[in-house]
Amino acid sequence: MGLITNYNLRSMIVRKGTAAMTAMGIAMVVAVFVMTMAIAQGFRGALVASGSNDNAILLRKGSTSETVSAVLKPQLPLIESMPQVARSADNHPLASPELVVIISLPRTSDGQPANVPLRGVGPRAFEVRNTLQFVEGRRFTPGMQEINVGKQAAIRFKGLTLGSDVRFGNAVWKVVGVFTADDASFESEVWGDVDLMMPAFQRDGYQSVTVKLVDPSAFDSFQAAVGNDPRLDLKPDRERDYYEGQSATTGALIRVFAIFVTAILSIGAVFGAVNTMYAAVAYRTREIGTLRALGFSRLRIVTAFLAESVALALVGGVIGCMIALPVHGLSTGAMNMTSFSELAFKFRITPGLLVGGLLFSALMGAVGGLLPALRAARIPVARALREI
Amino acid sequence: MKFIGLVLKSARRSKRRTALTVLSVAMAVFLFSALRAVLQGFDAVSAASSAQRLVTIRSTSMIFPMPTSHGEIIRGTAGVQDVTYANWFGGIYKDPKNFFGQFAVEPESYLRMYPEILLTPEEKKAFLDDRTGCIVGDGLAKKYGWTSGDKIVLQPGIPTYGSQDYPFTIRGIYRTSSSAVDNQSMMFHWKYADERSIVKGQVGWYVTRVADPDRAAQVATTIDQKFANSPYETKTDTEQQFSAQFASMLGNLNLLLGSVALAVVLTTLFVAGNTMAMSVRERTTEIAVMRTLGFPSSTIFMLVVGEGVLVAIVGGVIGGLLARALISAEMLGLAGGFIPAFGVTNANVVVGLGLSLVIGLLAAVIPATMASRLKIVDALRRVA
Repeated sequence: MGLITNYNLRSMIVRKGTAAMTAMGIAMVVAVFVMTMAIAQGFRGALVASGSNDNAILLRKGSTSETVSAVLKPQLPLIESMPQVARSADNHPLASPELVVIISLPRTSDGQPANVPLRGVGPRAFEVRNTLQFVEGRRFTPGMQEINVGKQAAIRFKGLTLGSDVRFGNAVWKVVGVFTADDASFESEVWGDVDLMMPAFQRDGYQSVTVKLVDPSAFDSFQAAVGNDPRLDLKPDRERDYYEGQSATTGALIRVFAIFVTAILSIGAVFGAVNTMYAAVAYRTREIGTLRALGFSRLRIVTAFLAESVALALVGGVIGCMIALPVHGLSTGAMNMTSFSELAFKFRITPGLLVGGLLFSALMGAVGGLLPALRAARIPVARALREI
Repeated sequence: MKFIGLVLKSARRSKRRTALTVLSVAMAVFLFSALRAVLQGFDAVSAASSAQRLVTIRSTSMIFPMPTSHGEIIRGTAGVQDVTYANWFGGIYKDPKNFFGQFAVEPESYLRMYPEILLTPEEKKAFLDDRTGCIVGDGLAKKYGWTSGDKIVLQPGIPTYGSQDYPFTIRGIYRTSSSAVDNQSMMFHWKYADERSIVKGQVGWYVTRVADPDRAAQVATTIDQKFANSPYETKTDTEQQFSAQFASMLGNLNLLLGSVALAVVLTTLFVAGNTMAMSVRERTTEIAVMRTLGFPSSTIFMLVVGEGVLVAIVGGVIGGLLARALISAEMLGLAGGFIPAFGVTNANVVVGLGLSLVIGLLAAVIPATMASRLKIVDALRRVA
């Protein structure tokens, strides 16, 4: 195998112009694949990062998202008193009753209004969501008309910088802090005191309650306890599962788009590889005849040419990944169909995605090289040797 | 022109290679046309939007309702011809995945406001007479196999509409005369939803027709001023601005689709350029012979370019026709109603053809230069 593999790899280098063009064709396909999938991954990542395994979110039974759920005020103490809910050092239950509404703010980039989620949270929200870090300012004071702003929201929308006044819900709110949240969707949100948000938006109840559990394993007993209480028409979900579900609609749309585009594009690139490999076989007819005369089996010839094609495609795959890599971490925004608001996220290229891109390029190489390799193996030895 | 036979002959030299190149160009043009169709769908909506219609929503965000009393105040504004109102229902048809637009509308004025919604007089009468009746777009009806007279049930998705199911009877299947109105939606009587709502008299948005489109901006400002400092402040825009804002919320589509299109063109350039180079290299000896016979190098150049363009145009035609046939408005409509249904038009196909021409030219330039610069002596000496 050593000799023949070496031979094929070296012939590839001899025909470097053609090889490079073919590899570049494949590289473009892989780059498009990796970049579009990076959008899907980033979008999902932003939502999944919002959910913690330690937390549970309660929504009204049958509700698929916060915006269509309702939790009554008297239900909150019932939840808080459950033994599965963790408590702070000063013995306060770690639960945050929340309300999400959408407000319209002009984008920094083009001044167009966009939907921004405004989350009213309870005073313990920052302990329930312990990934939140303040980069500027401080937490809002409960009872005051103050708000905190996610870092992405502060960047993407006008008038959300520290110290500025924002008008919504017939009141003026002061931005007193900007926070990050490990790239989670909270960074695209504006947070304020839920008890002030309810009257400002004419609501008389919460939409959801998020609690920190004493331990992730306490979820099952918590679920049973909520189910057994007839006063609670609520259903708990692990926060991570809930947010993963929220990414499903838009995530699927982006993935379908990515697959549609790369599938069609890859057909073109595979045809390019087929051409190249047929030409490679045609140029080397005599050499193939010699190899066969020396006793190399047909199977060896087939695998050798397949290997050449796959290697060529893999070079393209590596180049494609390198073309795509710089977009990693760039932030962009898209509408989340579930919440009807804009979500900022970063292109996320994971090692798994890169491996996927390389496998995809190898597959294109294998498909493109198969027929030419079979042709190489079928060349009759005598005729091949006679060729000039 | 007299060389066309030669060009055809050289294209047929390796049939398989030519066919594969034609197909890869076809794929590129197909993809390009499909992407353009999506973008154009959005543009068409805002282009077809009427400059005479204004949309008034709550200034906070369109998800918050306004009272019905706003309607009379808007009607009394100078320059306003007609007013109608609607609400987003957001119900669930069997499964939350079956997403389509459902609007609770004031039927008479709504149909007056949107002459683009085409109904037969019988359908219109049946719809107006039935409190639980609804009309659906022909695209939507096709998707779910509905016909006039069918009964459908929606489960309310927004808590304010109560928790009971809403049965409807389809009284008409509307067609549209312009892309300003999509054919993937359902409209029903606002009163039906209002009766069952927890909070009565809620309106999501008002649509106003102004007498003079040139004064639309002024009327919009006047409307908003009337509600300034009230608990329900409004924001009024022309329909055009409104749909442009909606499209921009989906994300930077122009950039995304533009970069994909660029990658498509580059990929095809690599593939087609490579093929042309191969074909020239194979014919080195032939070309040298032609030069010896007295063909000027400019003719050789034109021959190679001609071959590239021929192959690319054939591919372009195949890809364009394929896109025209396969990518229909219904297919894009399947993407969930958020993408305006808009098929591939003849204009798209023409642009695709133009693109294939460019690909053919660019792909052939380097190989053609190579061929025309061949040194006859070297080329003839070469054995390959």
